[in-house]
Amino acid sequence: MKETFAKLSPFQVDPDRVDIKLTRADFEKATSEEKSSMVETRKSVSYWRDAWRRFRKNTVSMVSLFIFLMVLFFAFIGPKLIPYDYANQYRSSQKLAPGEYSEKEALIKSIEGKVQIMYATALQPGSITALSAGNYYIKLGSRCYCFTIDKTLGDTVIAVIDNNLVTIKERDIKDGEIASATPLPNLLMSEKVAKGQGYVKLQAVKRVFPHVFGTDSTGRDLMARTMYGARVSIIIGVTAAVIVLIIGSIYGSISGLAGGAVDFVMQRIVELIYSIPEVLIVLLLQVVLKDPLQNWFDTSTSPLAKAMGDLGSGIVSIFITFALLYWVTMARIVRGQVLQLKKQEYVTAATALGASSRRIIRRHLLPNCVGQLVITTCLQIPSAIFLESFLSFLGLGVSAPMASLGSLCSDAIATISLYPYRLVYPAVVLTIIVLTLNLVGDGLRDALDPRLKK
Amino acid sequence: MGLYILKRIGVAMLTLLVIMTITFFLMNAIPGSPFLTEKSTPQQIELANKKYGLDKPLIVQLKNYIVNYLKGDLGTSLKMQEGTSVNEIIFNQGKFGLSIKLGLLALLVAVVIGIPLGCIAAYRRGGWLDGFLRVLTTVGVAIPTFVLAALLLIVFAVKLSWLPSLSGNLTNWKSYIMPIISLSFYYMCYIAKLTRTSMLDAINQDYIRTAKAKGVNTRGLILKHALRNSLIPVITYLGPVCAGIITGSFVVESTFSIPGLGKYFVQCVMSRDYPVIMGTTVVLSALVIFMNLVVDIAYKLVDPRITLVSAEE
Repeated sequence: MKETFAKLSPFQVDPDRVDIKLTRADFEKATSEEKSSMVETRKSVSYWRDAWRRFRKNTVSMVSLFIFLMVLFFAFIGPKLIPYDYANQYRSSQKLAPGEYSEKEALIKSIEGKVQIMYATALQPGSITALSAGNYYIKLGSRCYCFTIDKTLGDTVIAVIDNNLVTIKERDIKDGEIASATPLPNLLMSEKVAKGQGYVKLQAVKRVFPHVFGTDSTGRDLMARTMYGARVSIIIGVTAAVIVLIIGSIYGSISGLAGGAVDFVMQRIVELIYSIPEVLIVLLLQVVLKDPLQNWFDTSTSPLAKAMGDLGSGIVSIFITFALLYWVTMARIVRGQVLQLKKQEYVTAATALGASSRRIIRRHLLPNCVGQLVITTCLQIPSAIFLESFLSFLGLGVSAPMASLGSLCSDAIATISLYPYRLVYPAVVLTIIVLTLNLVGDGLRDALDPRLKK
Repeated sequence: MGLYILKRIGVAMLTLLVIMTITFFLMNAIPGSPFLTEKSTPQQIELANKKYGLDKPLIVQLKNYIVNYLKGDLGTSLKMQEGTSVNEIIFNQGKFGLSIKLGLLALLVAVVIGIPLGCIAAYRRGGWLDGFLRVLTTVGVAIPTFVLAALLLIVFAVKLSWLPSLSGNLTNWKSYIMPIISLSFYYMCYIAKLTRTSMLDAINQDYIRTAKAKGVNTRGLILKHALRNSLIPVITYLGPVCAGIITGSFVVESTFSIPGLGKYFVQCVMSRDYPVIMGTTVVLSALVIFMNLVVDIAYKLVDPRITLVSAEE
C-alpha cells in the first residue's frame, strides 16, 4: 500500500534538486491501461484457495489425506492390479495364510522363470485342473500351434521348454529344479493359424501372484476381497453422507428461514426422530425392506432398479435408513447456521429485491454455510461406514459373495480362534479409513471455519 | 422446574407412542406370518392368528397394544417361548438385568475414566502424556466395537487364557472385564476428547486467572472451577452415549455369548415374534428417553445459567 502511494505521489520528487525537463507530451491524460499499471494489485484469494492454504499447514490432516488417498487407490485401482477376483473361489487354494501358496501354486512357483507355463483361459490363473481331451491352440513366439490331447492329463502343468511342449508333474520337480519332463503324450502339433474354430486358447501367465492376505475357507483371495470391501464401504459411506447432506440441508434451511409455526412443527419432528433409538428401527427396516426391494429389483426394468439391484437390497436399505433417520443432525446444524445468517443485510437486500425463498436458500444461505456442510458431511462418512459394519456384523448388511469391510470382519470373527489373521486386514483398513476421515474432517473444520479454531 | 419435568415426561410419552406406532407398522410389514413353517396348514395359521388376535384389523391391534402397555402388560411371546409373558422374558429371565448391568457399568467406566483423562490431557497440554492420550483417543474413536471385542477375545481369552471367552450370565468378576472394556472404550475416548477441549476452553477464561491470582491450588482450580464449567458438553453427549451403548451391547453380547436383551432383539426380529419385538423396542426406547431426560435435568443442575424453558426455544 505504501509503495503504491509512493509511486502515485508527485510530491515525492523535490523539484529543486532534480532537474526535470517537461514536454507537452507529459501533460497528456493517462490512458486507462497506464492507470491500471500504476496500481499494484494482488490476486484476490478465493475462499477455497484460502482454506486449502490453511489446510496445507496442518501436517496431521495432510498426512491423513494422503493416507486416505492411498486407501482410495487400494480400493479402486488395486483390484485391477492383482489377478484375483473377489467372488471367485479358487479351488485347491482354501484357507491359506498370508503369503502362503497352495501345493499347486508352489509347484508352479518352483519352476517359475525356468519355463513358460501355459494355462487355458477357461481355467483360473494359478490353478491347475485336469486338461480334458480335445484340441488346444497356443502361440509360441510368432507362430501359432495346435495340439490335440486325446486323454485327460490330470494335475499337470503344460510347459514349453526349448520350444517343445512338455508336461511336468509334481513328482518331476525336486528341490525347485525340473528333474524330468515328459513330452506331451500323443501330441499332434501342427502349424495352425485360423482362430475362432472352437479351440481353447492357451495363455501364458508369467508368474504366480501370492495371496498376500491369504484366502478364506472357500478359496477366495482375501486381498481382492479386502480391496473390494473397502470400495463397497467407501461407496456406502459417501452415498449415505450425500443423502444426509441433501435432505438435512434442505430441511434445515427451510425450517430456519421460515421460522414461526413452520419452524416449530419441523423442529418437533426433528426432536422426535432424534430421540428414537435408531438402531432398533434400523434393524426392523433392514428386515422389512429386504424382500420388497429384492422383488422390485427382479421385476422392474427401470435403470434405477437395475443399478440398485447390483448393490443389493442390504445396501439400498442402509441408504433408505439414512434418508429416514440420520439427517436430523445435519438439519439441526444447517438450521442453526441459517438462523444466524438470515439476519444479515445481504439476505434483507435480496428479499427487498424480490428474491424468492428458494433463491435465497440456494444463492445466499447454503453457499455461506458451505464450510459447515463440508465438515459435517465428511464426518458423516465414518458414521455410515460404522453403521454398515455393525449391520453386517449382525448378518444384515451386504450379502455374499459381495463383501464390505464389516462383513469381512464379521466372517473373520466367526473363525477367529483358528485364523486370527483374517480379522487383521479388514479391521486395519476400516480403522484407517475412519481415522483418516476423522482427522481430515478436523483439519477441514480448522481450514474452512477459522472462527471455530481455538 | 417441576412444570418442566412434567412437560418433558409428557413429550417422552408421546415419543414412546410414536415409536410404538412405527414399530407396529414396521413389524407387520415384515413379509410372512410368524406361524408360517414348512408343516403348517392355512387352517392352523388362521387358528393361531385368531388365538393371538392377529386376525383383527391392524388399527385395533395397535389400540390393544397401547391399552395393554398402559396397564403394564406387554403381552405373551408367540414363538421363542410360546405362551410366556413378555414381562417375564424381559425382566425376570435376567435378560434386561444383564443388559442394564452391562450398560450402566460401561457408562460409569466411560465417564469415570474418560473425564479424568481429559482433565489430565488439558492440564498437561503439549506434554508427552497429552500426546499419548491424543493418539489413544483418536485411534479409539476409529475402532469399531466388534473389532475391539474380537481383539480382546483373541489376546486375553484365546492366547493368554487369563479371562473366560464366554461371559455367560456374568457370574464372576472376570467375565465382566472384556465386555465392559469393549463397550465403553469408544465412549471413554470420546468423552476424554470432549473434556480436554472444553477444559482448555475453561482454563483460558478470566475467572480461572482470577482464582489463580487468589492463590487457589492447582487441584482446587481444576476440580472446583474449571471442571464444573467444562462438564456441560460432556453431559449433553451422555444422551447419545446411552443410545450408543445399547447398539454396542448388541455386538458385545453376541461376541461374548451373553444372553442379554440386545442379542434377543435380533433373534425376535428374525422370527417375527411380534409381542417380543414390541416389548424390547419399547423397553429399550423408554430407557434411552429416560436417560435423555435425566441428562437434561443434570444439565440444569451443573449450570444454573441454563433456564430450562428457554432450552425448549
